[in-house]
Amino acid sequence: MRIPAFIRLTIRNVRVNTDPGTMLFMLGLPALYLVVLGIMFQGIIPSIDINSSSISYTKFLAPGIVGMQAFTAGNIGGGMLWSDRRWGMFEQLLVGPFRRSEYLLGIMVVSIIFSLGGSAIMIALAISISGSFAFTAVSAGYLILILVAGTIFFSCLFLIISIVVRTMQAYNTITIFLFFTLDFASTAFYPLTSKTPLALRAVSDINPLSYVANVVRDAMVYGVSAQTGYQTLIVLLLMFVFFGISLYLYRNVQTGL
Amino acid sequence: MSSSADPSILVENLVKSYDGRKNAVDGLSFSVDRGEIYGLLGKNGAGKSTTIKVLTTLVPPTSGRVSISGIDVVKKPNLIRKIIGVVQQEEAFDFTTVEQNFKIYGMLWEVPRETVKARTEELIELFNLTEVRRKRVFELSGGQKKRLQVAREFIHDMEVLFLDEPTVGMDPIMRRSVLDFISNKAKNGLTILFTTQILEEADYICRRVGIIDRGKLVAEGSSDELKNRYGASKKLSVRTSRDLSESEISEFNGLMSSIEDVDDFSVGRNEIWAMGKQMNRVMNEVMRKMAAMSIDVEQVNMDTPSLDDVFLDVVKR
Repeated sequence: MRIPAFIRLTIRNVRVNTDPGTMLFMLGLPALYLVVLGIMFQGIIPSIDINSSSISYTKFLAPGIVGMQAFTAGNIGGGMLWSDRRWGMFEQLLVGPFRRSEYLLGIMVVSIIFSLGGSAIMIALAISISGSFAFTAVSAGYLILILVAGTIFFSCLFLIISIVVRTMQAYNTITIFLFFTLDFASTAFYPLTSKTPLALRAVSDINPLSYVANVVRDAMVYGVSAQTGYQTLIVLLLMFVFFGISLYLYRNVQTGL
Repeated sequence: MSSSADPSILVENLVKSYDGRKNAVDGLSFSVDRGEIYGLLGKNGAGKSTTIKVLTTLVPPTSGRVSISGIDVVKKPNLIRKIIGVVQQEEAFDFTTVEQNFKIYGMLWEVPRETVKARTEELIELFNLTEVRRKRVFELSGGQKKRLQVAREFIHDMEVLFLDEPTVGMDPIMRRSVLDFISNKAKNGLTILFTTQILEEADYICRRVGIIDRGKLVAEGSSDELKNRYGASKKLSVRTSRDLSESEISEFNGLMSSIEDVDDFSVGRNEIWAMGKQMNRVMNEVMRKMAAMSIDVEQVNMDTPSLDDVFLDVVKR
């Protein structure tokens, strides 16, 4: 039986990226946040009270960490174009039995696999720490939708960076800056309240990771509402816009110079 | 589709310009037969790699016609990529172990798992990678990486193989072994387009070579043909069994000056040397004169030109 080209590329992407370093970045670091921060901060922040609902900090943090998986997986997936271009495999694959579109699809699929797989592991870890979450068929659907849309959005963001940036130093600087800014200036780790500084609130309000984390939190903890649908739409819209931009740039990536 | 009458590689009036002004390849034409190893030689920036990049569908030609096994490279690039193998000049690796590189590459090319396993063992042995088979690529030396890059390409079957300076960084023993391996593959029907800066390599394995300069083919033929046609001056030296007298030296000076084919010469006490083309004719003249003057010859040397000499001669024109 013939395996379609994009699946072969996906298998390759999984094999290449399942090295200990990448796994530590993708699973070890968020697991550490969840366990260490969740348990330690539990003493400092006993509960999070939003809209007359009170939940433990661990329960609040867990969906944020799950949402972060979309960002991390997008970073790894989109960053593959950077490393393949840098290490010659992009051109090597394009002189093999693959089309450009299949290469791109391979990146998107591996990002989604990593995102959903990592999220499943984080949810299992969160359940073991803070007990079960209230999933329904609709909320599970929202969870999967937002993780897929968020992952594609972040993959496209890192694809654009991979295409535009020329030096390794610039690439590393940008990705580290984005990693810290998007992660810590979002609602992944703490809620926006009246006490949140204005600047932080402003950044958090325009941070796509906040929207992803909020939808995941609604799906896992608070329940789906009109606000959940609205925030999902924003992420979907961003996904389409960034997919269009990255596709345009990707089609014009020159080879053989 | 291809027929057996088609040349394996056909390049007709290929022009490639990156900026619309200067042509990296400028009206290049050549063809390569099935099972032939064709060497494309040229100095840096001559257009060799650009030609390979057009042939392997990485960059589109500006004009001209290029086909592989009768399939048009521009019209059917996806079909072309299924029948070619490419070893690029630049490094190209997945940063896994040596063994995994073979396995992943085999999987990408849909080679049956058992075949991948068998070929991996064979190639690791042949390319002397046994000791590093479980090492990750970034731990390898430059030569080991290049060996892996060349070896990995033979994990899958192909009709035409493009080798862009494949032996860079290899030691002479390994280089010879790789060239012999490549040569055997050609004997089994594989067509190979080979570029190198080491002209001895082209001399060793290529049936024909094309010399490319500023994007144009400036010479083509077998190595021997090119040496005869373009070979830089041969050097003749004749050592006499006794010292020559002043009058004899004067006689020989007169003789050498009268022969048109001699570009440069020197007549010493017991040695005459001359440089130029058609040195066989010059040697005959010198021998005749020596016999007439009863001078015995102790030693005669004639240096034949190497492909290096041909290359230098052609690109200097």
